[in-house]
Amino acid sequence: MAIALPRLANREMARSQSDALRLFPTRWSRNATVGLIVAVAAFPLAVTSEFWLSVLLFVGATAIGALGLNLLTGFTGQVSLGHAFFLGVGAYTACYLGNPPEGAPAGRGLPMVVWLPAAAIVPALVGLVVGPAALRLKGNYLAVVSLGLVFLGAHVFKEWESVTGGSDGTSVLPSLAVGPVDFAGIGGLTKNQSLFYLVWAIVAISALACKNLVRSRPGRAMQAVRDRDVAAEVVGVSLARYKLGAFSISSGLAGLSGALYAVVLTYVEPGTWSLPLSIQFVAMVIVGGIGTTMGGILGALFIGALPELVKHYSASIPFVARTATEEGLSLPQLNQILFGLSIVLFLVLEPRGLAALWLRAKAYFKAWPFSY
Amino acid sequence: MGGVSELLEVRGVTLRFGGVTALEDVSFDVRGGEMFAVIGPNGAGKTSILNCLNCLYRPQRGSIRLEGRELVGRRPVAAAALGVARTFQNLGLFPNLDVLDNLMLGRHQRMTTGFLAGALWVGKARREEVANRQRCEEIVEMLELQPFRHSSVGTLPYGVQKRVELGRALAMDPHLLLLDEPVAGMNLEETEDIARAVLEIRAELDLAMILVEHDMRLVMDLADRVMVLDFGRVIATDEPAAVQSDQRVIEAYLGKAS
Repeated sequence: MAIALPRLANREMARSQSDALRLFPTRWSRNATVGLIVAVAAFPLAVTSEFWLSVLLFVGATAIGALGLNLLTGFTGQVSLGHAFFLGVGAYTACYLGNPPEGAPAGRGLPMVVWLPAAAIVPALVGLVVGPAALRLKGNYLAVVSLGLVFLGAHVFKEWESVTGGSDGTSVLPSLAVGPVDFAGIGGLTKNQSLFYLVWAIVAISALACKNLVRSRPGRAMQAVRDRDVAAEVVGVSLARYKLGAFSISSGLAGLSGALYAVVLTYVEPGTWSLPLSIQFVAMVIVGGIGTTMGGILGALFIGALPELVKHYSASIPFVARTATEEGLSLPQLNQILFGLSIVLFLVLEPRGLAALWLRAKAYFKAWPFSY
Repeated sequence: MGGVSELLEVRGVTLRFGGVTALEDVSFDVRGGEMFAVIGPNGAGKTSILNCLNCLYRPQRGSIRLEGRELVGRRPVAAAALGVARTFQNLGLFPNLDVLDNLMLGRHQRMTTGFLAGALWVGKARREEVANRQRCEEIVEMLELQPFRHSSVGTLPYGVQKRVELGRALAMDPHLLLLDEPVAGMNLEETEDIARAVLEIRAELDLAMILVEHDMRLVMDLADRVMVLDFGRVIATDEPAAVQSDQRVIEAYLGKAS
């Protein structure tokens, strides 16, 4: 008869390989995760303010893309400024397949089980096609080439009117139903409350998949490529395969992110997928924590919520113009300053981002009350 | 020459960088289970030989056959697949990963989990991870790395990092192990740790090794045969005692009496 062993107090006490490989090795870490999920699930019921719900919808949608960019930049060491392009590809894939056929431009009216996966798969394939050219380059060169993708995309998005609606843009109204559950309004909930569950469920699934990926063979290979490419080749890691794989997965997550972002916006035009959006994603990865899964989500939360907080409390911030005629900084200007400032401060003071602050606090309390 | 037990056959390897000839017509054999040392003054081409053996460099002429298969013209990834593992003179570890992950990277080609299976982490992917970590634990134990399992390699002392790198090479289950100055820059105690580990590897795994090293005592104690290089040419290949008394070797190291 098997003896029921108590759960472990910490990872160092692992008694077997499977114990050591648990995602949540201790009772505390498991309970904390369950608590977090419950808190997120309760949020739209407790906070019914449309304003905060929509902020967190944008945060959730962008968090998925930030998880993707973190796989590419944080874990594989390849800096890309082309993320906005793949968000656009995902968004327009969703529009083309999911929008009703009678709209202008006409969609295909396909259900969510078709358009949502397609919004990840199509950009991932586009990534596989453009990747080999871009990934021959390293560091800043890759950043510049990937920047080109954004401008190439801007042109295509503007000219391919039958899909994108050209510069007039297109509304995003695909069906949000999966079987009996319609995320346009579950039970008596509002649209934003229902969408909240859809978006954050996909965030949770993506985060889990990323976490699993980086702790298994392909993720280790990606990190080997980032840390020292010659040594990676010598132990038998194919640089091309893992760079391209990371690029493709990152593009797929960007596409998923773009589709949900578009659904939340309900209207997109080619200007939505421009360079500032790419830069926001780079900022999310840096502020959140390069090379940590948690970092993508924390970064999206910070970068997504900051402008809204500033807007909300602008009345009590000095030197800010509240009307077009008033003297002082405009809100977008203030936001740019705060973005720039936070990137610089994090790079200088805490290069591993918000996630590192959390890890450091955890390490401190692990030994508490001893300070060493 | 031409014995049945030759594991590695190097024939007439010539390597040039522009007008500089790094290796000229280098030939030697390594037998199964043999400890083969390569020595020579600075710039003699010792590391260049290792770089040719695991395909980081491509020699202009000559052939390198491991277990009958040609290595020249392949990529480093292919050399790893054929069983060549190595350590670097200046360390080739992944500093942000912990010791176990570095060792697990040595298992990379013995595993098959792809992107999708890794992200799902079910069934085979998980079983494979457990089985391969078991193998890495054996190496952790053999090289006495237990206290450092979960430490980022970049934060560990130099001597420990050298042992981790040796461990990663062993995790590849290689047929030929290339050691590029495994004790360079180490103190006596650390040197003895490595020497002990190397002897243990020989006793347990019967693995052929090529050792490039400046520490003559270590070379003379451990090697079965020694090859001496000078300016890219082989000037002697023999047993340690014979090499030590070879007139050409003494001249290469100390210069000729005028």
